[in-house]
Amino acid sequence: MFRRALPYMLSLPALVVCIGILIPFGTAVYYSTQRYNLSFPQARAFIGLENYTDFLSDSAFWNTIEVSLLYTFLTVTLELLLGLGIALLLRKPGRFNNMVSILLLLPLMTAPAIAALMWKLMTNPNFGVLSYLIGLIGFDDFRWASSPSSALFTVVLVDMWVYTPFIMILLLAGLRSLPRQPFEAAELDGVPRSFVFFRITLPMLMPYIITATLFRLLDSIQQFDIIYAMTQGGPGDKLMVFQVQSYLEFFQYTNVGRSAALLMVLWVITYVLSNLFVKHWLKLRERAHGHA
Amino acid sequence: MHHTSTAERILRGFLLTLVLLFFLFPIFWIFLMSFQTNEDILRIPPSLFFTPTLENYIALISGRLSTVAGDLDIAFMRNLWNSVLLSSLSVGVALILGVPAAYAFARFKFRLGENIAFTLLSFRFAPPLLVLLPLSLYFSELGLSDTYLGLVWVYQLIALPLILWIVRGYFEDISPDIENAYRIDGHSWATTFRKIAIPLARPGIAAASLLAFIFCWNNFVFALVLASADKQPVTVGALAFVTASGIQYGQVAAAIVLSVTPTLMLALYAQRYLVEGLSLGAVKG
Amino acid sequence: MYDREKDLFKSYTAGKMSRRELIEKSLKLGVAAGTANFLLNSASTAAMAADFDWMKHKGKSVKLLLNKHPYADAMIANIDNFKSLTGVEVTYDIFPEDVYFDKVTAALSSKSSQYDAFMTGAYQTWQYGPAGWIADMNEFISDPAKTSPTYDWDDVLPGLRASTAWSGVPGAELGGADSKQWCIPWGFELNNIAYNRKIFDKLGLAPPQNMNEMMEVAAKITKDAGGPYGIGVRGSRSWATIHPGFLSAYTNFGGKDLKQDGGKLRAAMDSAESKAFTAQWVKMIQDSGPKDWATYTWYQVGTDLGAGASGMIYDADILGYFMNGGDNKEAGNLAYASFKANPDAPTPTSNVWIWSLAMSNFSKERDAAWYFMQWASSADHGLFGARKMDFVNPVRGAVWKDQEFRDRIAKSYPGYIEQYEASAPDAKIYFTPQPLFSTLTTEWAAGLQKMVTREVPVDEGLDQLAESVNRQLKSAGL
Repeated sequence: MFRRALPYMLSLPALVVCIGILIPFGTAVYYSTQRYNLSFPQARAFIGLENYTDFLSDSAFWNTIEVSLLYTFLTVTLELLLGLGIALLLRKPGRFNNMVSILLLLPLMTAPAIAALMWKLMTNPNFGVLSYLIGLIGFDDFRWASSPSSALFTVVLVDMWVYTPFIMILLLAGLRSLPRQPFEAAELDGVPRSFVFFRITLPMLMPYIITATLFRLLDSIQQFDIIYAMTQGGPGDKLMVFQVQSYLEFFQYTNVGRSAALLMVLWVITYVLSNLFVKHWLKLRERAHGHA
Repeated sequence: MHHTSTAERILRGFLLTLVLLFFLFPIFWIFLMSFQTNEDILRIPPSLFFTPTLENYIALISGRLSTVAGDLDIAFMRNLWNSVLLSSLSVGVALILGVPAAYAFARFKFRLGENIAFTLLSFRFAPPLLVLLPLSLYFSELGLSDTYLGLVWVYQLIALPLILWIVRGYFEDISPDIENAYRIDGHSWATTFRKIAIPLARPGIAAASLLAFIFCWNNFVFALVLASADKQPVTVGALAFVTASGIQYGQVAAAIVLSVTPTLMLALYAQRYLVEGLSLGAVKG
Repeated sequence: MYDREKDLFKSYTAGKMSRRELIEKSLKLGVAAGTANFLLNSASTAAMAADFDWMKHKGKSVKLLLNKHPYADAMIANIDNFKSLTGVEVTYDIFPEDVYFDKVTAALSSKSSQYDAFMTGAYQTWQYGPAGWIADMNEFISDPAKTSPTYDWDDVLPGLRASTAWSGVPGAELGGADSKQWCIPWGFELNNIAYNRKIFDKLGLAPPQNMNEMMEVAAKITKDAGGPYGIGVRGSRSWATIHPGFLSAYTNFGGKDLKQDGGKLRAAMDSAESKAFTAQWVKMIQDSGPKDWATYTWYQVGTDLGAGASGMIYDADILGYFMNGGDNKEAGNLAYASFKANPDAPTPTSNVWIWSLAMSNFSKERDAAWYFMQWASSADHGLFGARKMDFVNPVRGAVWKDQEFRDRIAKSYPGYIEQYEASAPDAKIYFTPQPLFSTLTTEWAAGLQKMVTREVPVDEGLDQLAESVNRQLKSAGL
């Protein structure tokens, strides 16, 4: 009896604490079914799914979906590749490598909202050191976040700077906890290194890769700080991602209903994506333990 | 492992240099800025040479800032303290709640187990805005608005899922056989959990705690919406140098340096667990 | 003399000196005893207290929500005066400007009774008022039991009084019939030129008199000044890009944001005047604006002028004022000029930003809060702020007449009083008041960004904008 109850007893406190948070979530779902702008209190009414169906014909909404997904895809992919590369470079334990890996966490430690302020200064064409440096190598008219052609590049760059270390540290910890025998055996047999990497390292590291990617994905699709601080979603509508749009809808336009509906769409997208990841993760886990 | 050739060592060195340059140059530049006056920072073109000043730090630490418009009070050290308090309490609570739960998901297959785990994860992707606004209404009714307790609770949205899911992975990598052997020796379940399972998963717990701490530290919207000025974290505090009479870049830079310091110390301290070269691999079944 | 005095008050407000010390030292500096006393208490307190019961709410406490701004600093430096006048305790929460309005929205939308009064812009009250978050100040101003006979509400500049009063009917005239006084003007900005005299002298330029000249002068600076660009204006994706120079000049050419059409509001951004002016504005930015204009806010426009990266700005006059002091490289080199974009217009039409004080409808200490607001917007505090702190531009005629204030400005800010006096008579809010203000102006800014970055031609961009604005007005039932 105790053994059957144990897992519930262990996981329930965590769940209970979070359930409290679910109640306001329910309230927000309810708001999303209303015409509800704080500045038009008399017009408040239940409108069912109208906030949602309005989106379908709204090109700004589709632009938001497109930009959000593109941004997420670019940041997560690039950060994963770069983070994996760095983790491999620092794989061997040692004083130097350990120190470097801690120092590389520094960008993650600077709050993105404030870091973006500094990036804005560093990319300023007059005083910015980065503008100056790339001016030296011939790009003296590069306009970073203010040009539609380079805005996405700029915020992705800042995102990479901030969050690659997150992936790096998780994968590094993963790499270092892999069992040694398969690698030793492969070396004895003289197996080529590319084979070792693709057939041994990568598969064994996969659960870690998935965990890291999952968390990065959840954050990236909800990116707000960097984009809002650097461009407020501009120029034009180039970087109008979900969180920026719903932030504007609420805080500036006081349109609670629309803001909530927008966030619900984001929530559904995130739900589906993370569900896919977790299913895959569980499957991998199962397989790994099957081997054991 | 393989012998490393000279060419490979050079390539490695080169790549590592690039990586360090990309990630640390901006930090280095911010560090330099924290010792400059605004006038030095706003030079055209920017320059490496300047007469260092401690003014920015003095202003932050003493809580007085002289600007065009006279002397201003700044609550930066208070903000810093709030951040320390909020982040460590939140991570502490998340550890107490999250580690046992992570263990449960890793060790036991139980009805609804995966559903509960996924629900807990889903808190991570509930967009904070969505939850915050109704929450501020409920908080005033519960008497939780403008309290540290209320904030720590909301911070669980950030910390708990991270700790739960990362630590779970580590528990799963440790073979249950060791625990079983220990238990056959006549130790209770609780002792086994405390003496065997947790120490074995320590690197994972350290990594997850550190990351959760950093994410809590970097948040600013929770406190902004739910609390008054005396409970704001350092992220909001640093914005105080963006004023109508200009942005005090030197002070923003110094604020970044000061606000990174506690986290960096924590990371250095946790380093031995974090990257100690977990020889645990051999333990895996 | 002035600087030494200012230092003295600085150390007092910074808490490095007791009040007694301050009074003694001011006496030594030769500050008239009356002045020193006035600043710190008794004289004005006694005068104000003579025929009005200031102590009525003694022992009560009010809490303010403030933006980190020189106006708030000036108030805090003088707050002891209020406390001893009324016996009312005042506490305040100060938030950085970047997040200030978010905090206001969060606090008011949760109907929190935490704050009794707060700082706001006049535009924001077009949302807060209809939402039922703020009180109509008329009932206080017109009640002799609540308002001191020396308050003299009519001394507040008429354009500002009107601009902060609105009936709540979308599109109705500001200050028109049945208006509610949503907030009390506190300090304001009008929009004119601030320029770098060093650069202008070097190139033999005079401040531009109209739009064509502005484009020429800006282009000349960009071409010949050897680094600095011609003109700084805001460009970020925000309502704040529309309201300063842009709307002032736009209005001067007869442009309107919205028009009435059979009792409904319709977009007017696609009019011929609008298209002609917008084309000039866009070209000016493309030719001689900041390279990364689309990220420019108040801060960047000011920073560039202060650091010598731009030749002039067409923005808030007090932005140029701030940049002429402190540790700015160009401090002391700046000058000011009034600007009338349209050579055929009779006067400049400067749109204004008004930092105001509003009362929360959820306040439980409304009368005490009004005492505070009354004191903070009184001529006495206005004089203190204008003479000793950066509480400019004053909203009261009496303060503008004060010789000490005028001398201080004339001495360090050449042309400032002149630009003010040339533009003040027609300075007011030129937007049509309606609750979708920030939605529509943000979209307007996004549209300008697309035009400046050549994603869309000006005519087409304005047509698209008007179409989208009309759609939103319609769906909101305006």
